[in-house]
Amino acid sequence: MKAGKLFSQAARSMRRYRLRTTLMMLGIVVGIASLAVLTSIGEATKRETMQRFKNMIGTFDTIMVRPGGGRSRGMPTLVNVPPTLRFEDANAIASELPEIRAVAKMQTAFDVDVKYSDHAASPAVIGVSPNWLELRSEKVADGAFFTEEQNVSLARVAVIGTDVRTALFPDEDPLGKTLRIADVAFQVIGLLKSRGAGPAGGSLDNLVLIPVNTASRRLFNRAFLTMVIAQVKDPYRSTEATDKVRVLLRDRHHIRPPALDDFTITNPAATMAQVRRASSTLTKILTGVTVMALLIGGVVIMSLMSIAVSERGKEIGVRRSVGAARSDIVLQFLFEATSVALVGGMVGVVIGWGGMQFATQMQKLPQILVWRPFATAIALSIIIGMVFGIYPAWQASRVDPIQVLRS
Amino acid sequence: MIDAENISKTYPRGEGGAVEALKKVSFQIAPGEFVVVRGASGSGKSTLLNLLGCLDRPSSGRYRLDGEDVSRYSDKQLSRIRNARIGFVFQSFNLLPRTTALENVEIPMVYHDGRVDRRRAISALERVGLAARANHFATELSGGEQQRVSIARALINTPALILADEPTGNLDLDAGRDVMRLLEDLHDEGRTILLVSHDDAIAAYASREILLRDGAIVSDRSGPNKPLHPAVGGAV
Repeated sequence: MKAGKLFSQAARSMRRYRLRTTLMMLGIVVGIASLAVLTSIGEATKRETMQRFKNMIGTFDTIMVRPGGGRSRGMPTLVNVPPTLRFEDANAIASELPEIRAVAKMQTAFDVDVKYSDHAASPAVIGVSPNWLELRSEKVADGAFFTEEQNVSLARVAVIGTDVRTALFPDEDPLGKTLRIADVAFQVIGLLKSRGAGPAGGSLDNLVLIPVNTASRRLFNRAFLTMVIAQVKDPYRSTEATDKVRVLLRDRHHIRPPALDDFTITNPAATMAQVRRASSTLTKILTGVTVMALLIGGVVIMSLMSIAVSERGKEIGVRRSVGAARSDIVLQFLFEATSVALVGGMVGVVIGWGGMQFATQMQKLPQILVWRPFATAIALSIIIGMVFGIYPAWQASRVDPIQVLRS
Repeated sequence: MIDAENISKTYPRGEGGAVEALKKVSFQIAPGEFVVVRGASGSGKSTLLNLLGCLDRPSSGRYRLDGEDVSRYSDKQLSRIRNARIGFVFQSFNLLPRTTALENVEIPMVYHDGRVDRRRAISALERVGLAARANHFATELSGGEQQRVSIARALINTPALILADEPTGNLDLDAGRDVMRLLEDLHDEGRTILLVSHDDAIAAYASREILLRDGAIVSDRSGPNKPLHPAVGGAV
């Protein structure tokens, strides 16, 4: 029997037994729709998390060193970190470790009043090295970043984020204007390109960057750092570089076992891998649950098809009497089961697509086109139809035409 | 056309037992004959019809159809023969429910080479006088009409042999007569008709009568009131 004829016979049977067909499809529809929704959301969440993470740390070839051992919550600032990480430590990392290409120093403070004219804001005020821009893969949208000369000469210059620009300079060009950070005048020389949201969803654009030496001597009067960013030469060997930095700092801080580190090193590549692993585990769990739902859908198809075989015994007998071979009957029933599953799968995909749109809107996730779960769903429904159609199809082929035509 | 040689059919029953439904039956049927098979219930009529219709295989003996020994053919080979060379007409019509008359007539074409030719199906329905009811569901037709649809279905692949099992058994007199007239027309066109019937009036349409009792032929006659079809040209 040719595929075209098979298709038309299956379509007729599906039309003829609408209720049963609908019931058979239901399990697959629910399974496929939830598979599509959950995996798409999982994928969208993963991508969004990765993007936010990337927004925050910029590049993956840097490691971050913060003062204080153990975990600390939120951004390290001058008020919540111990004064254990010093300018000299950063210089030592840069000069003594061949694995490190460059080092940027950071001094961060919050709750500092920043004013311009009659506008005020409380952004993060961060003193950073001039190479900070390069290490974080960030860009200046307008103007320029400060130079090493400006850092050495303790120049009072600032580069502002887009949120600060909106807050302080709503109607004018900030470049060249003088703003006041804790009553110290700084000239705005650059505007950072927007970075969007961080992993926790907060804005990464509410900041003012100033030279780290200026921050230390003219503003905060502190000789310790809140973070050191070290760029490794070989990103694939960042774990090794991390170990070297640890050994160096422990040595410089005279820490001997069993004493714990008085600093914390974060390796973004490792953290990223962890995030990726966590989200793929979540996706696997969700997929497992929906595969279970699909299997149940398959079992429903199998049971209803088996009942259909006994109800359609006479039809099978007639088909056999007019020339259908056993193999034709197998093919017909298999095709019917597969068609039911496929149509169910397609309906599920449509519902799933709608559900995904709804869920991403509710969760404020980006509207990204994730085609893979949908393609997988269609392929899965075909496989389920075929696998769970085998038994009823075989059953149908064993119907004795003589018996059923006589009854 | 049909050459049955010592064909027997035994069905297993219970613990090692067996029922012999047909016992070494031998006969021939020439192309174009109109044969009625008669016998009491359980005499083996239906078993014989199933064997001749290639729905079943004999337990022993040889069955040749058009000179081809089909006794040991595979399921696929027998299916092709049923599809191309044999048309079945059943007592209970056996039309598919929730299916139109036209779709019922098309079914044998599904298993035949080539496409499903709707025009051919319509002309088959025209042939049995039911073209106007082509799109009616089987359940919307009277018994006689259903049987005529089943005859159209049997004819669709132009088989040379029509096997009819009590074709008028479920019909009133008029409808039965219409159906027999149709079978007679098919016979007049040169088709071989073999029908199973209890009814004397129906048996009278045939040119030859085979009587079965307990799975064996007790008489096979082509009486004076049972002339052979002119195409056959003499007794077999």
